[in-house]
Amino acid sequence: MGVVEVLPVSTYVTIVVFIVGLIYVWVKWSGKPLHLRWELYPVPHEPGRTHYGGSYMEEVDWSKRKLSKSLTEELKEMLKEMLFLKRVYTYNRPLWYITFLFHGGIYMILLWFASLLVYSVLTVYVSETVASIIMLDRLNQFFGYVGIFATTIGVIGLLIRRVADNSMREYSGKVDYFNLIFILVVLLTGFIALSVDPYFSLARMYMVMIVSFQMTQLPELHPLTILHIILLQLLWIYIPYSKMSHFLGKWFTYHKILWDDEPNIRGSRIEYRVKEIIRGYKIPWSGPHMKKDKSWLENASEVE
Amino acid sequence: MEVKAVSRVKVSDIGKNVEQLVRLDLKDLMPLPPPYDKPGMEPEMTQPKDEWRLKYATDLDGYIGIDIPWKPQNKEEEELLTQRFLEGLKKLLSEEGNWTFLQPLLLSLEYCAKCQTCSEACPIYVSSGRKEIYRPTYRSEILRRIWKKYLTKTGKLFSDEVELNAKTILRLGELAYRCTLCRRCTQTCPLGLDNGLITHEIRKLFSSELGIAPKPLHELGAKQHLKIGSSTGMTPEGFKDIVKFIEEDIKEKYGKNIKIPIDEKSADILLIHNAGEYLSWPENPAAFAIIFEEAGISWTLSSELVGYDAVNYGVWYDDVMLARIALKHIEAARKLDVKKIVIGECGHAHKALTVVADRVLFDEYNIPRESCLPLLWDIVEKNKLNLDPSRNNFPVTLHDPCNIVRLMGIVKPQRNILSKICPQFREMNPSGVYNYCCGGGSGFAIMQSMNFPEWRSKIASRMKFKQILEAFRDTVENPEVPKYVCAPCSNCKGALRDTFEHYQATSRYNIQYGGLADLIVNAMVDLKTPYLEFLK
Repeated sequence: MGVVEVLPVSTYVTIVVFIVGLIYVWVKWSGKPLHLRWELYPVPHEPGRTHYGGSYMEEVDWSKRKLSKSLTEELKEMLKEMLFLKRVYTYNRPLWYITFLFHGGIYMILLWFASLLVYSVLTVYVSETVASIIMLDRLNQFFGYVGIFATTIGVIGLLIRRVADNSMREYSGKVDYFNLIFILVVLLTGFIALSVDPYFSLARMYMVMIVSFQMTQLPELHPLTILHIILLQLLWIYIPYSKMSHFLGKWFTYHKILWDDEPNIRGSRIEYRVKEIIRGYKIPWSGPHMKKDKSWLENASEVE
Repeated sequence: MEVKAVSRVKVSDIGKNVEQLVRLDLKDLMPLPPPYDKPGMEPEMTQPKDEWRLKYATDLDGYIGIDIPWKPQNKEEEELLTQRFLEGLKKLLSEEGNWTFLQPLLLSLEYCAKCQTCSEACPIYVSSGRKEIYRPTYRSEILRRIWKKYLTKTGKLFSDEVELNAKTILRLGELAYRCTLCRRCTQTCPLGLDNGLITHEIRKLFSSELGIAPKPLHELGAKQHLKIGSSTGMTPEGFKDIVKFIEEDIKEKYGKNIKIPIDEKSADILLIHNAGEYLSWPENPAAFAIIFEEAGISWTLSSELVGYDAVNYGVWYDDVMLARIALKHIEAARKLDVKKIVIGECGHAHKALTVVADRVLFDEYNIPRESCLPLLWDIVEKNKLNLDPSRNNFPVTLHDPCNIVRLMGIVKPQRNILSKICPQFREMNPSGVYNYCCGGGSGFAIMQSMNFPEWRSKIASRMKFKQILEAFRDTVENPEVPKYVCAPCSNCKGALRDTFEHYQATSRYNIQYGGLADLIVNAMVDLKTPYLEFLK
């Protein structure tokens, strides 16, 4: 079996490894023990208080009331951050122009993937006519071109800024450069693939093959297109295990830490976990004021 | 002695073999607005004494936050320090050692994009004239690099430049006390990462594993608090005497016969003040007594060990100390069988007992804890006091204590009160949850050893002082007009006191500071003389 024949198999493997990677990252972060409260205001789920950063603790006897939370408000704030990079826009505008282009481009490429997938599923399992009627091929071209150009300009901009800006250069590590260069290389090979397939017809054929599980129907591919597919697969495999999985990490930093203002109410799930942890974990610290190898509860309650 | 410093500091310079990494100069600092824009308006910066260099870590910027003699004296001691530091770091990254903050810490170490968006949010970095060592990401990056290089499997291969030696550890220890944990930087981070937390965690490592922490926080603070009853050294008997004195003072000055309840069983509220108030600003607990008496609140103070001092310095540097003190506060409340604890005007005590310690309490220890500010607003709003705002007819601005506002979301009650009782109330800019720290946060207000107060007033409190001058720009140069900075937090008041003294702001320009309860009482119509001292 040659490299070309392996491609469909490696595509399935990439998809599986990517999903497993994401699950691994999710489990890694969600499996960490309950932490102490460390919220930071404004917390966007406080109904009627978000605009000035208020909390339920502004009320007398708040613990006697039923506290309400607005998940919609929280998601709204998250979407502003995800789609428009609100904080970079507000606090670091010069960087925003570049990073927005980069991230916006990535979202376009994801839409390109999605439209490719929908087109292929419809073609294989419904009918090609339906896919054509809703002009998915046109949409696919639009997302693809906008995505690849925006992301490429963005990643070059980010690289230049990282090198040109003293404060960014000094703090950036090998991995920070590697990630950007890796993405750039994938994009540049993507341009080559684009030059031999300007209407994404090969890409659609490839995706049709993938969703139909007809591995023998592999379209004929240019060697540089094959190189692009291999690099793209490697990038997808790498993403969950790299800093690029920050889109998952961000869920935890915001929802589970900065916006986690859930009080520990008597008889609640939190109280149960607190009991478990504080009785179960033993202190490993060696400081003179520590009771090493005694539980957290013993350490907290037995004061000399 | 002329000390050589590094001209442009890099992250990798942290372990560099120079006597002092940075030398601060007044001309580099952020300029202050009028009338402090002229030369000679503030004292020059000084260099540490030569004898200090032998025992303390002056290796960073010449200032000493950790005032215990912890500098290794020979190679063996240096190696031991390095080993123990690494041991501590391992524990900091373990579930058993650090379940309390493991998830936030690891996320913050893992995902930083080094975009530096957070830098401009930091008042210390900006005030210092943007000195690299004070950039919020500087100390975080050092810890990150040490972790990757020395404690991960792929570290040797992929890690970035850092050298773990005694100089690195000494400087990192001091760096942990160049951030007030105000967490303004975190508000701006696109990824929600927390450099303030990393600072907190470095402090924890030093304290929990090496027993190294500033004396005012640990030895004279938290430990003394647990042993004697108060971080101030005040015993239960001393506390009762002071309360008696306050009762007499209220009677003598204002003709009010108030019996301040101590250890009253089954009251609705156990009020706990920062004990520093009784010693430095007794007018604040007195004001609470007057207000509560007038409003008919069922309340008491406690004379139980720890129960009369709301401070919890553990929140700044050591989770075990935090838990120990919090449990003592709860025990005091349980003994008195009160319905809830209300915390007086002390920011970190608010956050420690209400929020951070929330997840170390359970069963009968899990009793309601609240801020005094909503209660004060409730009293004012419901007109339980007869107030005349014209008595407060002078410029007033509000300082937002980070712990109460940014970290707890208590923003409006204090503003509602000031809007109602102070005709010339004006906000600082920025304010509310985006406020600037007073410079005394995270223990800085009580760290008075050697040259640390100079650093605090010149760098940490500089942005706040600038804000205050700008808030009073219309009358700032007129000493005839008293200008009042309302700071409902003991540590903030301590920092403001020292800042105003450093810049002679009170003696030159009549800029005053004080609490919120004091202003409320000053507006009470049945008081024959003004409550605020500077109005007398």
